[in-house]
Amino acid sequence: MTIERVLLMPLIFAFLCLIPCPKRMTRLTFLTGAVLSAVGAWLFVFGISWSPRVFAFNGNLMMDSLSAVFVLLITSVGVLSAVYAGGYLFKEGDSSISPSRLRRYAFFFHLFLFTMLLTVLSNNLGVMWIAIEGTTLASAFLVNVDDKKSSIEAAWKYLILCSVGIALALFGIILVYYSAIAQAAAGENGLLLDWTFLLSKAKQLDPQVLRLAFIFILVGYGTKAGLAPFHSWLPDAHSQAPAPVSALLSGVLLSCATLGILRFHILTTVATGSAFSGTLLILFGVLSVAVATPFILEQKDYKRLLAYSSVEHMGLVAVGLGFGGVLGIYGALLHIVNHAFTKSLLFFSSGHLLYLFQTKEISKVKGIFRKNPFLGIVFFLGILAIAGMPPFSIFVSEFLILSAGFLAGKFVPCVILLALLALIFVGFLRHTNEMTFGVSEGPPVSERSFLMDGVLGLGLVVIFMMGFYIPGPFQRLLLEAGRVAGGVTV
Amino acid sequence: MSPELAASLIHFLGMMLLIASFWILTSSQIGACIRAYATHSFLLALITAVIAITNHVEHLLIPALLTLVLKTIVIPHVFFRIIRRLGIRKEVESYINIPFSLLLAVLLVFVSFYVTGNDKILKPVAFSEFIPLAVSTVFFGMLMMTTRKKAINQVLGLLLIENGLFLMAITMTFGMPLLVEMGIFFDVLVAVMIMGIFVFKIRDAFESIDADDMTVLKG
Repeated sequence: MTIERVLLMPLIFAFLCLIPCPKRMTRLTFLTGAVLSAVGAWLFVFGISWSPRVFAFNGNLMMDSLSAVFVLLITSVGVLSAVYAGGYLFKEGDSSISPSRLRRYAFFFHLFLFTMLLTVLSNNLGVMWIAIEGTTLASAFLVNVDDKKSSIEAAWKYLILCSVGIALALFGIILVYYSAIAQAAAGENGLLLDWTFLLSKAKQLDPQVLRLAFIFILVGYGTKAGLAPFHSWLPDAHSQAPAPVSALLSGVLLSCATLGILRFHILTTVATGSAFSGTLLILFGVLSVAVATPFILEQKDYKRLLAYSSVEHMGLVAVGLGFGGVLGIYGALLHIVNHAFTKSLLFFSSGHLLYLFQTKEISKVKGIFRKNPFLGIVFFLGILAIAGMPPFSIFVSEFLILSAGFLAGKFVPCVILLALLALIFVGFLRHTNEMTFGVSEGPPVSERSFLMDGVLGLGLVVIFMMGFYIPGPFQRLLLEAGRVAGGVTV
Repeated sequence: MSPELAASLIHFLGMMLLIASFWILTSSQIGACIRAYATHSFLLALITAVIAITNHVEHLLIPALLTLVLKTIVIPHVFFRIIRRLGIRKEVESYINIPFSLLLAVLLVFVSFYVTGNDKILKPVAFSEFIPLAVSTVFFGMLMMTTRKKAINQVLGLLLIENGLFLMAITMTFGMPLLVEMGIFFDVLVAVMIMGIFVFKIRDAFESIDADDMTVLKG
């Protein structure tokens, strides 16, 4: 496997899914595509994990351990979400979706995976920008699957707000390019936007221009990553998209944009030799958690509840990156991974809930446990996990991030975060207690989808296991990625 | 081309560009708005070509040509098709009236000259007078996106922002590497197509394309 092949796989399957054929065949192509791309990517990542950087396509594409973590994340959540979608959207019955619409859905799903992989694998910052804009364009049709008023509104807001945000990020990239041009020697013109090249020359770049650039990047990619106060598209898009798409949006899309910020954060920190970008990240991170808290406490729609929790967790990741140090960065990366799995598990179970109760309102969902014990257990444990309860994995990474803060002597943000996290915990329990253990109307439901329940079970096992034990090779990869993110030039 | 001629040509084109920006912002008909955008892009292509020729950066001619073809011909054509097929009322509806947006626009021009006045940080490679013009184009685009009611005008605002950034890129750095520049053109084109499809979807679901009808999602 090479980087090109990792990228080509979802692209090829995207077009294969468009071939007009019966629903079963589309589903088979769709699932095979997701599984094959994931297996290919895993083999590639673990096959080369000993060499620090692999380049491709004239150095425009690059995989280091940092992008390797994200490749694993995208493909893993991608497979889970594709399998879930295989049961969720392809189900037969009166509410089934027409075959042509499903083909289009499958096409955009794979295209979305492709653009996200391109985002994390690009070394050229301009290519990364193109890929991030590509993720918006590819996923707009996924957010709006049913052509309802609310879905169209959500998709439109998503398109417009993210495009404007990303346009601002482009301004930041122009500034970085400008600062590089001033220092360029002859013959280096093709390299000037390459992250690896910029990092090796970072000390010579104009720190003032880079500071200005970082502000634009933070606002631009921050819109995409769901940082407050630029998050207003997020709850709409996440709540209106079908469950498997919400899982992808929340679990990995936000993280991909965060990687964009992280690359510039590393660059700015090395170039300015100051904590300027880190401080900004802490500021916006704490703000995100603070903005999300009241919306979580007073939420009436369970999918929006999960969406605001994504704002909170992206805030925590930003804070972790801002605290820096080995612990903070490792904690933030681990938090990205844990959040991706936990939140996608919860969005998958929200798909079950919507199917069982036909509503997204919290107050109308009562007694999941009675109606479907398996779903009740998964949902409640998932909520405990996302709220930061030990022994689940989110607790571990939150603990690491906060310890990094205390070690760095940043007491004020840490104390604020602790208070907010406690409030959020209470909010989650208040909402979900009645949802899970209340008295349900109607008989228990026995109808099952093996695929969909399998995904939920697997997700639960993963988030439980990650709380105790991180598999050896993955642990090594995370540590290595933390080293890269710490600005160590190879 | 002699340097004096080039300099005065650039002055002239810059002025025309600013006028075109004002034209987009103040036209009360969608058709005029689109034509103004086409003119704006046409001037942008000319400016790019002049910069390419006077500074001997021939690779800039490709983006200039692409701007001419895509933004001056293809995209306005797509827009005209959309409004014809939508059969919408032609007036631009705005939250603020046109004299007031004109006033705001003038203010924004002052602001952009003021914020870029400090040339210690930004020393552009080509004609520095375009930096404030580029910034004000971006501002105009944002003003348009926030004050216009129709979804289609919001798309035009976005394109105006993109034009501003393009101008910024060519004056500060002689344009991004060709690969990136092509990718951005591709993205813009796809974005216009997708947003165009969504404008139709909005019309079908809401029976109008006023973005302020979209108030289902809150909290």
